[in-house]
Amino acid sequence: MILSVERTLLKSTSKAAEKLFDYHHSESPSHGHWLWGIAIPLLLTLIDWPFREILTTSNILMFYLLGVFFVAIRFGFWPSILASLTNAGAFAYFFAPPIFSFAIAEPENLAGLAVTMVVGTVTSKLAENVRHQARVAEQRERRVSALYRLSKELAEARLETEIIEIGVRHIYAEFGGRNTFLFPDRNGLLCYADEPPLDISLQGANLSVARWVFNHGQMADKGTDTFSDSSIYVPLNGSTGTIGVLALEQINLPGIFFAEQRQLLDTFVNQIVHTLERANLAEKAKEATLKMQAETLRNSLLSSISHDLRTPLATIVCAASTLETDTGQLDEDRKRKLAGAISEEAQRMSDLTTKILEMARLEAGEVVLNRQWYAPEEIVGSALRRLDKKLKSRQVNVTMTDGQALIYVDAVLLQQVIVNLLDNADKYSPPGLPIGISVETAPSGLSIAVADSGLGIPEHLQEKIFDKFFRIHAESAQSGVGLGLSICRAIVEAHGGKIHATNRSIGGAVFQLHLPVSEAPPIIDPEEKS
Amino acid sequence: MKTAGPLLLLIEDDPQLRPLLITTLESQDYKVLAVAGGREGLTFARNRQPGLLILDLGLPDIDGQEVIRRLRTWSELPIIVLSARDQESDITQALDNGADDYLTKPFSTAELMSRVKALLRRVAKLPGGAQEYFQVGELKVELTKRRVFVGEREVHLTLIEFRLLSELVRNAGFVVTHRQLLEKVWGASYVEHSHYLRIYMAQLRHKIESDPARPRYFLTEAGVGYRLCAEDMP
Repeated sequence: MILSVERTLLKSTSKAAEKLFDYHHSESPSHGHWLWGIAIPLLLTLIDWPFREILTTSNILMFYLLGVFFVAIRFGFWPSILASLTNAGAFAYFFAPPIFSFAIAEPENLAGLAVTMVVGTVTSKLAENVRHQARVAEQRERRVSALYRLSKELAEARLETEIIEIGVRHIYAEFGGRNTFLFPDRNGLLCYADEPPLDISLQGANLSVARWVFNHGQMADKGTDTFSDSSIYVPLNGSTGTIGVLALEQINLPGIFFAEQRQLLDTFVNQIVHTLERANLAEKAKEATLKMQAETLRNSLLSSISHDLRTPLATIVCAASTLETDTGQLDEDRKRKLAGAISEEAQRMSDLTTKILEMARLEAGEVVLNRQWYAPEEIVGSALRRLDKKLKSRQVNVTMTDGQALIYVDAVLLQQVIVNLLDNADKYSPPGLPIGISVETAPSGLSIAVADSGLGIPEHLQEKIFDKFFRIHAESAQSGVGLGLSICRAIVEAHGGKIHATNRSIGGAVFQLHLPVSEAPPIIDPEEKS
Repeated sequence: MKTAGPLLLLIEDDPQLRPLLITTLESQDYKVLAVAGGREGLTFARNRQPGLLILDLGLPDIDGQEVIRRLRTWSELPIIVLSARDQESDITQALDNGADDYLTKPFSTAELMSRVKALLRRVAKLPGGAQEYFQVGELKVELTKRRVFVGEREVHLTLIEFRLLSELVRNAGFVVTHRQLLEKVWGASYVEHSHYLRIYMAQLRHKIESDPARPRYFLTEAGVGYRLCAEDMP
């Protein structure tokens, strides 16, 4: 139904095409060239005239031949033929006896003129060929350098949009037509890209033709019967089939049809397709790696939290079903104990969930620091208050230097850090022993240290304890998923700070964090005395 | 158990939590009107004149924040917000929009009950005109005379410190957001200058608290605002 350009047709016309292979530079002689074809012989006639007594007619013929060469080299084949004819006329009229008559009396002169004209025609043809070769070479060079520029830019492109943009620009520059690349959408239907088009992008391509081209992997253009579109549609044939279609407006229609231009267009398209495929593969490889990492993380998360979430759940389900099926055997005290267990374990699950979500948010990079100026003592105070119940029976020593000096932090997140550190300190210190927190505000930044009276941390694990889901004693009685310290590190690092753990000489571990200060605290207007 | 207490309007779309809250609230002698959607809730708030609204922020039809905004255009109905999102910005926004108090899910019913009670008590107190005297623990504030005592010791406050304190006293037991405090004490052009508030809060604590790093009266709700401890506080 719809036909692609017939290669055979192209071949049959390729001779003609070659002569005019480049539309921009093809030379049909201009009026000026024709004029020169007459003017040069006439000029030579004028020069030769005074010497007609000295020179023989064969010498004069040589001069005319020289003129023909000149015209052939400068102005092309046909003007040189004209020059030959003019020469013949001028020679017969002015130089070959009888002069001032086109008749030629001597056979010698007639033969000379004939030979001169044959030689002139042959050499003109040769000169024309040389000119043509030079033009071909020049064109080839131009194409090669166009191709080189395209390849060079493509080599640096990473993103699909970049590649397409480069393709559109280069095709426009080389073939002079607005163009666009069409790719299939999720349903496999060809459509325009989502990105805003360049001003040299072709808009209004015939999508149904493009889809035909896409499905058949064959080119369609004006030579094709059924559509009167002035664009051509070239399939982007990749290694795994057609990946899209190039729609190219035909501004200079003939240009595209010549074999060399066609070849160049094919080469351009191939280059672009290969680059696109390369980019896609790289993208796929990256995705696969990310997927694998996510998988690993998910597995460790699942194994880690399934234990920690199941344990409290077991208690809850057990206690709740006991209450549910009770028919009056349980006394008030027992019931209250069961309910208490449910609420306690539910609280524990809630804490765990919060931590997991918090970590997920930090990991996903969704957390934007809400930095404001805060007094460190306020942040420490609110952290201590959040742990009020937990730390009721524990002595907490607070040391603070310059707790009022403002620091520029996200208070909610920093409070979370302190809560996690204090919570850990409480968990790992034997009951009755004190824990301590010291805060120091110096011009260089804020330092916070939380010390416990526990067993300390083995030296080789002092870095590892900040890893996600890491616990020194897995599945120990201590509830926790091993996320508290990872959250601390993520928050501290988001502030551009550092956190590390060491052991105290008197026993126990100390966690130290340092947040650098980048800005001077703001100054407030002094209050008027009332 | 038929009840005669004040009518509470509950807007909560979770089908598990709603009946549970109704049972709990009714067991405390409140009449409860429960709906699942914000639009319906607004209609009931207008027609049935409830004494208090318990509002879940995540609603299926309109955003909880929008419910607060619309309600505040014509009603002073006290609002307690329930938020499953523990994002401080949501809570702050709800309070700035005019909510009176908040609870983040999960919360215990005991906590909810005490918040409801406290809020109803405050509403009952309001018509009595300007409060003159406030006391919590050792802290005594004479609002009209502008005198502040901690135990027997009189504390001298600057004008702004006192204005900050009295703003907290007016809302004792409830959170006041940073924005609200900045606007009331310094004026609307200062709402972005949160460091003023931080500096004066620290000064106030140092003058009044015995241990400013572990405050007893001036409690911080991180990322949201401040709450002055009240005798009957939840």
